[in-house]
Amino acid sequence: MLIFTILLDGIAYGMVLFIISVGLTVTMGLMRVVNLAHGAFAMLGGYLSSVMIRHYDAPFIGGALIAALVCGALGGLAELTVYRPLYRKGELAQVLLTFGMIFISIASMTLIFGTTPIAESMPKWLEGLVDLGFRTYPTYRLFLIGVGALLALGLYFIIERSLFGARLRASVDDPGMARALGINVNLLFTLTFIGGCALAGFGGAIGAGILPIEPFYALRYLVLFLVVVVIGGLGSFRGSLAAALAVGLIETTGKYLLPQLGSFLLWFIVFGLLLWRPYGLLPPKSAT
Amino acid sequence: MKAIIRLAAIAGFVLATTTAIAQTVKIGLLAPFSGPFAIWGSQFKQAVEAYQKVHGDSVKGAKIEVIYRDNAGDPTRTRQLAEEMILREKVSFLTGFALTPEALAVSELITEAKVPAIIMNSGAAIITRKSPYFVRVSFSVNAFTAPIPAWFEKEKIKSVYILVSDYAPGHDIEEALKEGVKKIGVNVVGAERMPLSTTDFAPYMERAGRANPEVVYMFVPAGAPSIAIVREFAKRGLKDKGIKLAGSGEVQEAFLPAIGDDVVGTISGFHYTETNTNPQNVLLRKTLVELFGKDATPDAGSAGAWDGMRLMYDAVAELGPKVTGDQFIKFARGRAWDSPRGPISIDPEERDIIQNMYLRQVEKRDGKLVNIDLMTVPNVRDPWKIANPNAK
Repeated sequence: MLIFTILLDGIAYGMVLFIISVGLTVTMGLMRVVNLAHGAFAMLGGYLSSVMIRHYDAPFIGGALIAALVCGALGGLAELTVYRPLYRKGELAQVLLTFGMIFISIASMTLIFGTTPIAESMPKWLEGLVDLGFRTYPTYRLFLIGVGALLALGLYFIIERSLFGARLRASVDDPGMARALGINVNLLFTLTFIGGCALAGFGGAIGAGILPIEPFYALRYLVLFLVVVVIGGLGSFRGSLAAALAVGLIETTGKYLLPQLGSFLLWFIVFGLLLWRPYGLLPPKSAT
Repeated sequence: MKAIIRLAAIAGFVLATTTAIAQTVKIGLLAPFSGPFAIWGSQFKQAVEAYQKVHGDSVKGAKIEVIYRDNAGDPTRTRQLAEEMILREKVSFLTGFALTPEALAVSELITEAKVPAIIMNSGAAIITRKSPYFVRVSFSVNAFTAPIPAWFEKEKIKSVYILVSDYAPGHDIEEALKEGVKKIGVNVVGAERMPLSTTDFAPYMERAGRANPEVVYMFVPAGAPSIAIVREFAKRGLKDKGIKLAGSGEVQEAFLPAIGDDVVGTISGFHYTETNTNPQNVLLRKTLVELFGKDATPDAGSAGAWDGMRLMYDAVAELGPKVTGDQFIKFARGRAWDSPRGPISIDPEERDIIQNMYLRQVEKRDGKLVNIDLMTVPNVRDPWKIANPNAK
């Protein structure tokens, strides 16, 4: 039954990565803007929900939702003021500026909350173990899998089944043609950016049990988020789900079965995957 | 006439300042004040300020000036700063050093300049062999496992699973513990090296749980990893199964609130128990709270900084403000004093610390998570140095 444990652990981990990274995938695909500061929104979400829960007695999910709202709003504001002037500036300027934003976020969180990771604010109903018949399993991880699946389903309907989604996909595939057809790509992008940041904030908040919240969060997990984006394919929602689950499963399987390889396994496989499919697992049409 | 007065005034001023300089002993404290290890810098600084609050900022008329520099935990930067401290600031002592590479980076420099470096934290065993001008007042990680075998014997524990971070101190600890338990017939049912970047410890705890040991012994850097690993131990149900968790610096008092109540019952072998009632510790805690508020909690870094200052103050008191590196090293060898941790002394041959190792357990007292001493192993010398008398 070890295989089920590996599957559950890997999927739970992958779901957290998915919730946080999906916004980054879509925004990078849409505007080709390299937003390295995406993880800062997830970190902010984690801090905000913790403050909400501890100081204002918000329930766990309520705290995460408030964090999502605030992160979304801040994301929208940042898009209009900081990111928009960057679109035409080229990748180097984007990398420098967004990297600078990471440092600002690290410094401000250190100033407010100190350098040690903050205490987890897990509610009682998530703390225990559930009997799955063949073993007992932490409730929290099952909760992550459930929430991740629900969000994936919701995003599937928004992106693949709604008019908004059709316009979004069209703009990712061919922004020039989309504009010519009268789609307001700028507005679309602002909305997507807000959504992506809100999801990051939400993911940071509920995923705090797996990725502990501390000032260096934005930098520490940046590579993982970028791997999800690259493996999945820029701009591909389905790709980011597949990539996040793959990263989660590979990391977890490696730790169970080949612990002496450490984190090499993941990088080997990423390396191989990119040689095989340089544009990611499920790239949008514009990339190929 | 005016010009003469002005000249005299300038001359007087210059004279006054030069005599003041002669009376000042400068200490260059290099530590991370920014970056992921910034906690060390701030803990050092608070303890130094606490020490100076209690003992004043001068010794027998000589002013003690501590110059703080941020090395961000980077060895190259540490070396540059050490050079600047020695050449431009003409410091009499270098101190600080949170991580092992910071200390190793200055070893050649201090040997050449004959400037002593007092290590307030860096823990790899080998450091003090790298220059005759190193004196360590903190600890050697290899000593942390010293009280563990004795505790196993007392609790009749027969099996242990070892989880260490995959870097030099982790390997040292793994070796030391394996060596220590071999003699008493404890079975090591598994040993795992985990990448330093790990924060999801679920698979490791799952494997450890399946091996069904009586104790899981961990060694990971304090901070995000240490908090995550203790939480996962409880979340995976190992705690409920009756398995004991043991470690060292992961469960210092300062980190306990972030881990939460899951940490209660965790055992650790460490050189400093924050709740001990030694007069020096009571004084340190009281002064920290006075200066920095009620949440100020001392850790191993605070104890190291306090004792480092003590050693330098004592040397200046006895040898005067012009103390040389060689005089200081001679003075430090074999010196013993009361630390916030308890009695400590400097090994006359190795210039490394000899101190008690305490076996502690996390408990909740008056609503606060604290470590309580269970056992003491007195006067532990670095076991690695005893086992490797000639290694450099």
